[in-house]
Amino acid sequence: MSSDAGMVPRPGALAASGAVAPCASDAVDGSRKAPTSGHGGELVIDRVFHRYTSAGRQTDVLHDVTFRIAAGEVACVVGPSGCGKSTLLGLAAGLLRPSSGTLRWDGAPVAIGRNRHLGMAFQQPGLFPWMSVRQNVAIGLRTRGHNRRDARRIADEFLDTVGLADFKDAYPSHLSGGMAQRVGIARALALRPRLLLLDEPFAAVDAFTRLKLQQEFKALLKLNRPTVLFVTHDVPEAIALGDVIVVMSQRPATVQQIIRVAREDRDRASPAYARKLAETLECLGVTSDLGNE
Amino acid sequence: MKRGAGLLARRVLLPVVGVACVLAVWEATLLVYRLPPIVLPSPWSVATTLVELVGTAAFWRDVGVSLYEFIAGYAVGVVLGVAVGMLIGESRYFRLAATPVIESLRFIVPFAWIPLTILWFGTSVTGKILLVAYAVFFVMVVSTARAMAQVEPTLSRVGTMLGMGPWRLAWKVHLRAAAPTLASAARAAAAIGWIAVVAAEYIGASAGLGLMITNAATSLTTSVVIAGMIVIGLVGAGVSAAIGALSRAWLDYR
Repeated sequence: MSSDAGMVPRPGALAASGAVAPCASDAVDGSRKAPTSGHGGELVIDRVFHRYTSAGRQTDVLHDVTFRIAAGEVACVVGPSGCGKSTLLGLAAGLLRPSSGTLRWDGAPVAIGRNRHLGMAFQQPGLFPWMSVRQNVAIGLRTRGHNRRDARRIADEFLDTVGLADFKDAYPSHLSGGMAQRVGIARALALRPRLLLLDEPFAAVDAFTRLKLQQEFKALLKLNRPTVLFVTHDVPEAIALGDVIVVMSQRPATVQQIIRVAREDRDRASPAYARKLAETLECLGVTSDLGNE
Repeated sequence: MKRGAGLLARRVLLPVVGVACVLAVWEATLLVYRLPPIVLPSPWSVATTLVELVGTAAFWRDVGVSLYEFIAGYAVGVVLGVAVGMLIGESRYFRLAATPVIESLRFIVPFAWIPLTILWFGTSVTGKILLVAYAVFFVMVVSTARAMAQVEPTLSRVGTMLGMGPWRLAWKVHLRAAAPTLASAARAAAAIGWIAVVAAEYIGASAGLGLMITNAATSLTTSVVIAGMIVIGLVGAGVSAAIGALSRAWLDYR
């Protein structure tokens, strides 16, 4: 077992000490584990609270969330639906401003607005319906200064990777939900971001394609080792892809536990995998001996 | 073959039936009430008048003047309306400042301005152009602002994520996403603009279809009045169809 990050101190303890305990312990981990030759940076989420106000009613979404992702690490965020995982991604992207607390990328506060280090795939793919699939992937590259030819070439490359080679000239209205989601992933990956944020990117993809995409995704990450924050509700997926699993509690969400995943935990035939799965599920309040008196 | 014949029947025969019904009612009215041609000329005499009109240079000059007033005013109104609508959609401060002005002015219908435009610009084309621009502007402002506000929020987030700044986002994403709504608004605005041109010419003009009709009415050449009205209808329908075709050509991506 390598879940050495352990329990996160409660908000009171944190406020009292003023220290960011889980970050500190993770830092040791990160330097030991990820010899980052890649271009990812460090993302620090420090005592972040977030509250929505709509129609005069306030909803606390995130309540004192603190963790850190070392450069080049993949963090998978799991937790009950509606617990604020997407909000967390929005904050990390600089699309939302936290009610309090700070988010830091490579030591500097995350800017609100556009961020050039960023690539993100949204839960709803958000493809521009007036553009072909290829244009949808290429537009971000154009915006970031690639010329037309390069943008097109890179877009084609990433569309091949997600298995949409035959749909480059199709329009989003002709795609299935899973295909649209894959375009969204290709669009994020094509930017070759230093920070990759993925919001349940494989949710609408069928189970088989999903496993295949997970494999290809892992291979792609090896190329330039971005830092990844990956929201999922699929625990096996989190174990397959994550270096760490961040387990969130119910809303108002806080970090319940940070579980480290070792290489041997990912072998689905191994007892280590079964133990990791049971451990994570237990954090989520699910017993692992369902139907097994 | 049979299917082709059915299509022909639907596409050609039914519209002909519709027009024939109107003409039949017209003729029947003449027969039943024994109306003199000064009050209501027969469809046939209107048709011959129309053919004669089409052969004269004066007629085409009038059509040209009306179309010019319309197109110039329409272009100004659409461009300004979309621009201001975008500002309202994108900037909260601008929206707060502009909304009271626009909400109060837009219910002062263009026709209410006709006396003032004549006072200020006489019977010149300038007054008509401004009137059309005014009519079109308000249609476009209101629907542009509304359409910009209704753009799927995920698309804005995607644009920002891809590295677009606020203006590029407004131009490349919000405006483009709103384009189908704007196209139908532009078509509705064309109808209102064309009506405004003709109405303004009725009241005071030195050339144009409206003037041609009022002149004919004062000299009791009723067939010219009705022929002119038919021309107004046909030109309006043509303009609307042209704008529809343009927007389809530009927007069809499905």
